[in-house]
Amino acid sequence: MNATRVIIRKFGGQAKAIFWSRAVQRIKVFVLGRNVSDGLLAKLILYLLLSIVAYLYVQPILYMISTALKPLSDLLDPTVKWIPRVVTWENFQTAVKGIKYPEALQNTAIIAISCSVVQVLICAMTGYALAKLAVPFKGLITALVILTFLIPPQIIIIPLYVIYSKLSLLNTLFVFLIPAIFGQGLKSALFILIFRQFFKSQPLSLEEAAKLDGASTARLFFGIMLPLARSACLVVFLFSFIWYWNMYYEPSWFLTDNFTPLSIRLDRLEDVLNPSLLGQRNTIDNPATESSKMAAAFLIILPPILVFMFLQRWFVTGIERTGIVE
Amino acid sequence: MKPSNEISRQRRLFHSKRYGIGLLFMLPWLIGFCVFVAVPIGWSIFMSLHKVSVVPGGFKYERFGLKNFKDAFVVDNVFPIELITYFQQMLLMVPIIVIFALLISLMLNQRFPGRFIFRAIFFLPVIFATGQVLSELFAQGAGEIPFLEQYNLQPMVEKYVGLQFATTVMDVLGRVVLILWYSGVQILIFIAGFQTISPSVYEAVRIDGASPWDSFWKITLPASVPFISLNVLYTIIDLFTFPLNPVLQHIRANMFKIDTGYGYASALAWIYFGFVFALIAVVLWLFGRSMKSRGKRS
Repeated sequence: MNATRVIIRKFGGQAKAIFWSRAVQRIKVFVLGRNVSDGLLAKLILYLLLSIVAYLYVQPILYMISTALKPLSDLLDPTVKWIPRVVTWENFQTAVKGIKYPEALQNTAIIAISCSVVQVLICAMTGYALAKLAVPFKGLITALVILTFLIPPQIIIIPLYVIYSKLSLLNTLFVFLIPAIFGQGLKSALFILIFRQFFKSQPLSLEEAAKLDGASTARLFFGIMLPLARSACLVVFLFSFIWYWNMYYEPSWFLTDNFTPLSIRLDRLEDVLNPSLLGQRNTIDNPATESSKMAAAFLIILPPILVFMFLQRWFVTGIERTGIVE
Repeated sequence: MKPSNEISRQRRLFHSKRYGIGLLFMLPWLIGFCVFVAVPIGWSIFMSLHKVSVVPGGFKYERFGLKNFKDAFVVDNVFPIELITYFQQMLLMVPIIVIFALLISLMLNQRFPGRFIFRAIFFLPVIFATGQVLSELFAQGAGEIPFLEQYNLQPMVEKYVGLQFATTVMDVLGRVVLILWYSGVQILIFIAGFQTISPSVYEAVRIDGASPWDSFWKITLPASVPFISLNVLYTIIDLFTFPLNPVLQHIRANMFKIDTGYGYASALAWIYFGFVFALIAVVLWLFGRSMKSRGKRS
């Protein structure tokens, strides 16, 4: 009895200290976490920061939608900021008429889809050849592929214009399709490098097995390698689709006639709606057409956003799995 | 004699067949490169050495030698200034974009509920940062944050950065939103890159008692050096082919002036390309060196 009391007196303080330090530890783990992302505090900061940045990303789109739905009176009224007093669909009607939406949508879709499909196929072939096949001067060719990525389009646009007009490709779909067939589409070099990286990471034994079974190289590529590269194909297709959809600089040179994509028509919308101001539109910020322009802009980004929403999951996992960046 | 001859013949046949298949796969690209890249490049260099004027039915060339290149610096009083200003801005913007992308992708790489929604939002820039839509939006002033005026940052920046760089810094600050919008692909590359670091490494260092802070500096950062270099390169290329940048607009304006024309514009474009190429070479050399020294140590 006496002895235990002595022990308690001797070690009680220590036990209490251990108890307290345990409690502090537990709170600390709860708040700060064992990993960076586990704790409450870290989570809060994470959500806060991400939400701020996400707001900055979403804000222009919200602005676009809200402006597109405003009538002119709300647009000029400084007390109306985000939510219009009266929701009007008139701007969308003007925009659809102004850019001839169905026709332009069709043009853009034809260009984007056909060129992207061709680009996937050709870039996959070229990338495969650079990764696995015997090609003379392979190092030099790879360097040239990278060079085509570095050359800004502005340097070669005039010679290209002359070449295309000699081949009488201007103002047709083929002005984009034919370069894509010959591996020189929009950012082809990047896609070739992606495919090269992907095929390089495939084991050699696969090809050897197929070769032993008597498969030709073409059969090996189309039957085994291309299906294997599904995720890479999807990533390349989506990137290519979106870049073709959004491109502005090239069509502003090559497609000036009737066959114009959405981006060019958006640029010309001001002239269409206000023919009297032709030529001086850069100096005036015209509030009367702002709503229609925003409506047109929204109509333009709607299809890619829908496509992306459907393919989002495969896109993300595809990027993670392709080893694009190894 | 005969058999060995036969063998060498067969070997040659085999090799030419192998090369043939490879070339067959490369053929579209090779043709395309010659027609749509090599010829235009040669032509553009040729143009830059001449005064090009448009006459009915084609171009008229007048030999100029290197005069176009000299004029760009001696006669033109806009181009050198714009080139230097843009390069200053670029040198500031590239690190900001890459570091911002790194931070965001680090956050997105954590596991937390609602991650999918955030990831979807952060892919938005990939969808339409390249487009006319975005420039239209910015022309309307949709993406601006008015904090520069609100907090009157100008005097502060001038005080801390020095007068000669203050305008550059202010310009860059004014484009913060644009910077955010141009980091879409970079975020993607970083997220993909983080998947290549094996989680067992993190577990091992945690057992050894490393804090998250340590594991970031000792593992995540060194392992993502290749992705950082890739992103720096991508950002440089992205910024310098960005059609709204002042240098390219100047080049474009010169194309249609009668007294300067295509020849002068091509010369300007090649000077610009030369500068950017030098920048890329320096970046590659720096990253190559850091990777090599890392390889030696481990």
